Amino acid sequence: MPASRIILSGQVQGVGFRPFVFRLAHQHGVTGWVKNVTGKVEIHAEAEQDVLDAFCHALITDAPAIARPVLQSNSPVAAEQLSGFHILPSTTGTPDIHVPPDYFVCADCQTELLNPRDRRYRYPFINCTQCGPRYTLMTALPYDRDNTSMRAFSLCPVCQAEYENPLDRRFHAEPVACPQCGPSLSFTHTAASPRTHLPPPNVEQPLDAAIAVLRQGGVVAVKGIGGYHLLCDAHNDAAVTHLRQRKQRPDKPLAVMFPDLDSLRDSAELSDLEEATLTSPARPIVLLTRKRTCTLSTMLAPGLNEIGCFLPYSPLHVMLLADFAGPLVATSGNLSGEPVLIDNMEAEARLAPVADVFLHHNRPIVRPADDSVVRRIAGRMRPLRLGRGIAPLEVTLPRALPEPVLALGSHMKNTLCLAWDDRAVISPHIGELSAARSQETLMRLAEDLQQLYQVRATRLLTDAHPGYGYQHWARSTGLLITPVWHHAAHASALVGEHPDITDWIIFTWDGVGLGQDHSLWGGETFVGGPGRWQHQAGLRPFHLPGGERAGREPWRSAAALLWECGLSAPFAPALVHAAWQKKLNCPETTAMGRLFDAAAALTGLCQIASFEGQGPMYLESAATNWLGSQTPPPCMPEPLNIHKTNINQAKVDWASLLPMLMDTSLPVGERAWRMHATLASTVCILASTLRDETGIQHVGLTGGVFQNRLLSELIHTQLHALDFKVHLPQQVPMNDAGVSYGQVIQYLYTSHA
Amino acid sequence: MHETRILLAHGNGGRHMRELISTLFARHLGNPLLDTNADAVCLPGLNGTTVVTTDGFTVQPLEFPGGNLGSLAVHGVVNDLAVCGAEARFLTLSAIIEEGLEIHVLDRLIASFAAAAKEAGAVVAAGDTKVVRHGEGGGLYLSVAAIGEMKAERPLGLAYIKSGDVVLVSGPVGDHGISVMLAREQFGLSGDLRSDSASVLPLAKAAWQHPGLKFMRDPTRGGLATVSHEVAQACGLTVVLEQARVPVRDTVQSVCEMLGYDPYYLACEGRIVAVISPDAADSLLALWRTLPGGEEAARIGRLEDGAGKVILETPLGGQRVLEELEDDPLPRIC
Repeated sequence: MPASRIILSGQVQGVGFRPFVFRLAHQHGVTGWVKNVTGKVEIHAEAEQDVLDAFCHALITDAPAIARPVLQSNSPVAAEQLSGFHILPSTTGTPDIHVPPDYFVCADCQTELLNPRDRRYRYPFINCTQCGPRYTLMTALPYDRDNTSMRAFSLCPVCQAEYENPLDRRFHAEPVACPQCGPSLSFTHTAASPRTHLPPPNVEQPLDAAIAVLRQGGVVAVKGIGGYHLLCDAHNDAAVTHLRQRKQRPDKPLAVMFPDLDSLRDSAELSDLEEATLTSPARPIVLLTRKRTCTLSTMLAPGLNEIGCFLPYSPLHVMLLADFAGPLVATSGNLSGEPVLIDNMEAEARLAPVADVFLHHNRPIVRPADDSVVRRIAGRMRPLRLGRGIAPLEVTLPRALPEPVLALGSHMKNTLCLAWDDRAVISPHIGELSAARSQETLMRLAEDLQQLYQVRATRLLTDAHPGYGYQHWARSTGLLITPVWHHAAHASALVGEHPDITDWIIFTWDGVGLGQDHSLWGGETFVGGPGRWQHQAGLRPFHLPGGERAGREPWRSAAALLWECGLSAPFAPALVHAAWQKKLNCPETTAMGRLFDAAAALTGLCQIASFEGQGPMYLESAATNWLGSQTPPPCMPEPLNIHKTNINQAKVDWASLLPMLMDTSLPVGERAWRMHATLASTVCILASTLRDETGIQHVGLTGGVFQNRLLSELIHTQLHALDFKVHLPQQVPMNDAGVSYGQVIQYLYTSHA
Repeated sequence: MHETRILLAHGNGGRHMRELISTLFARHLGNPLLDTNADAVCLPGLNGTTVVTTDGFTVQPLEFPGGNLGSLAVHGVVNDLAVCGAEARFLTLSAIIEEGLEIHVLDRLIASFAAAAKEAGAVVAAGDTKVVRHGEGGGLYLSVAAIGEMKAERPLGLAYIKSGDVVLVSGPVGDHGISVMLAREQFGLSGDLRSDSASVLPLAKAAWQHPGLKFMRDPTRGGLATVSHEVAQACGLTVVLEQARVPVRDTVQSVCEMLGYDPYYLACEGRIVAVISPDAADSLLALWRTLPGGEEAARIGRLEDGAGKVILETPLGGQRVLEELEDDPLPRIC
């Protein structure tokens, strides 16, 4: 009888793949065995050739929804004349490891969860091979129960039987648990002054107690999959205001979790694409346009026309939302810029000023994973933040690296990227590295990722900025360090998604990154490819009064532009002007993010920002609202003037925007729209000129500024009409979270194996 | 002397130089030890351990609200000895003068130097002057050495610091840095803000006798953050500063906010940062507050286990890393 040895790689562990193979073998009448070999699945199959072919085909086509098997080899071997089909114990060895992300509760488990006769009825830690946490509870590979934070929970006989039965949905579901043997919830207060009439701590029904507090307008810190959330009633203005005051987060948008799609539809516009994304296994936060009829608190996202929406993804969230029967604000349980909190004691200590009560559980979270965030831009869903459900994001590189590297990314929105051979793994969102806890998380995760994937980086890739929060630590490791320019990393990250395209015109527009001339770049245009980027265009430079403070205070950028043109800025203190004249702490910049800030300030939308990107987001929102009221749509304005410098670089002169932005005879929304549209026209001119010079057809848009949907879509549409091929990042965030991956791509093309 | 400004001739060893030394330097600094005709002098013996320090001083402008280069130079070396547990007894002064400096300005600076030395109980035992060509010096550079007696009964040093110790500061930080910057840039904004340039000897003396004192330093260049880094790195501990407790004057805070500076990195010239065991901290703080210059002393932080970092704890409990000062700190976050 013919026999085959089949090896499958990809996402095949922690996803119920072996039981699937077992069942499939029974269906097809195949004999043999299946086993986990570190990171891969190896199958020995014996049957007639046509049966073997069909079996092999079905291994891929009928695989569990959350598995992503890749057929690595299928070679004929000598038959072993085996009877039956067996699941053999795992063997460890080859380091081709895949770490699955955390999965939302599957339909089968949800049915059991809501079935009063099921032994896991209303059990918040129900899971099976098709769902449940993975990344956030693994301590090591291979993915076995002893290598997870479930190790401390001994299986009861019933769970044990399920775990050992190859035909059961819970066969080797590592986090399997039930009310008898698994983790449980607890409800606590902290000593820090209960502000409402609260249920007593340690009640029998922690979930009911939490619901009662939510109904009273209280704030509940809830331990979830990848960390804590702060929850409150999304309809209750007072509750939302309280949360904002206590978290000292006056304006930043708060995400909302809805019980189901129907309730979500009451509040937000929903396209098919967005609906599919909301219900995808990753269950990310999706930014959606708020409906006019939306009755949620207006304090959720003041000044913006979108709300971050998501659906319950863990059994605990499913029950919380079902019991509360209405949308809940669900914002990360952390302090501004810090990683989400994961430890019970630490959460109580640090969230005490914010939360009235805590809904804890005793399943340890090994490492944080914040919720992922995506937005529809130019017809595709684009990630803004990688987190729970998506990260660690595993990517195949265009070719193999000469050595394993660890890229440390950017200072803001930090992520890590570990890469070796032709593989790269991007970590979840870590945070802003000015926060001590972010730096600690970075160091821990750097070690952790290398251990999980059993790879040791021999080189670190860093940003060229000497002041980024990891630089000191990077030097202390003694590893080789290759610095990568910030915008080269941005551009290369996009190229990494399209390795087949060799020549690019790429606009990298963002807040601030150190440029090769040691000024602060951020409105740049490059031509070429990774390792051979030529800086072709930028903004007319200006000087930011107060340096880093300008990033939080848009009025400073506005003053800078006015002063640069010899105009007065009556809103700026004389001392600041005097310092600007002397260029005291006024670094030179060409950053588009600051130009948007200036526009937000000059139109009166935002003088001081309480969160990153507030000015530009208000500007986009005002422009989008105004545009929606215009029929027919307005004509595109003239582009900005472009000067050529003596080194043949184009400098985009923003000066003509100033009188328009300050023209109070125009509605604010129209001015905001003109800002966007003028820049879009300018991109078209720059791209066309560069195409004339180089023949390059492919235009890339990347950097945090292009998270602005209006801007990106205006540019996308117009460039498309000019027969350009336009690309925006799809897999990896276009903001600074993508810099770590871009550093790897840039290094890949500059190193020689 | 008839000249109103310093000439190159004031440095040539001839008549002009002799006149400058006798009518200006010796007039202010003269004392039985100082012999302007000798190449060297013998010092009387000191009690106990002899302690020495040397420092160069330059500041623009030479005179600023609350002080000038002359007093600053004395305070600099006196304070260096004081935080080590010693009292300055003898000073040496080397003055490098730029051609063209107004003589009445020089006179004021040296008078200030003399007054500050007298206040600190030290005499100038040796001196030297040089003149450099116009454009080759910042008006006046002073190089000063101080020799003193160890007075502290127990040794002080980084080696005694332990996790759990407490950090004190003797007064508000950043006054000197901001006053000098405002004066230098001629912003025409003086208000009531003055440099804190002063001798910290009285405060240091009070601390020397205090049980539990581990270490002191005057947070000059690089300010409180830089001293904290020295401590953190030398001890392999983390220094946690509590934002709400670090005294910063409103004027300093508001100028810093306008210009984008961080007061924790600004120089002080009359403050002490002390590390002390937790049980002794409150009594030293109470004592300092009774002394001139110590009224606004505060308990500002603590030492924790950790990897040589300096952390600023915000009122909400956030922890921001205060990075070691770069040559030219560039914005990272905009």
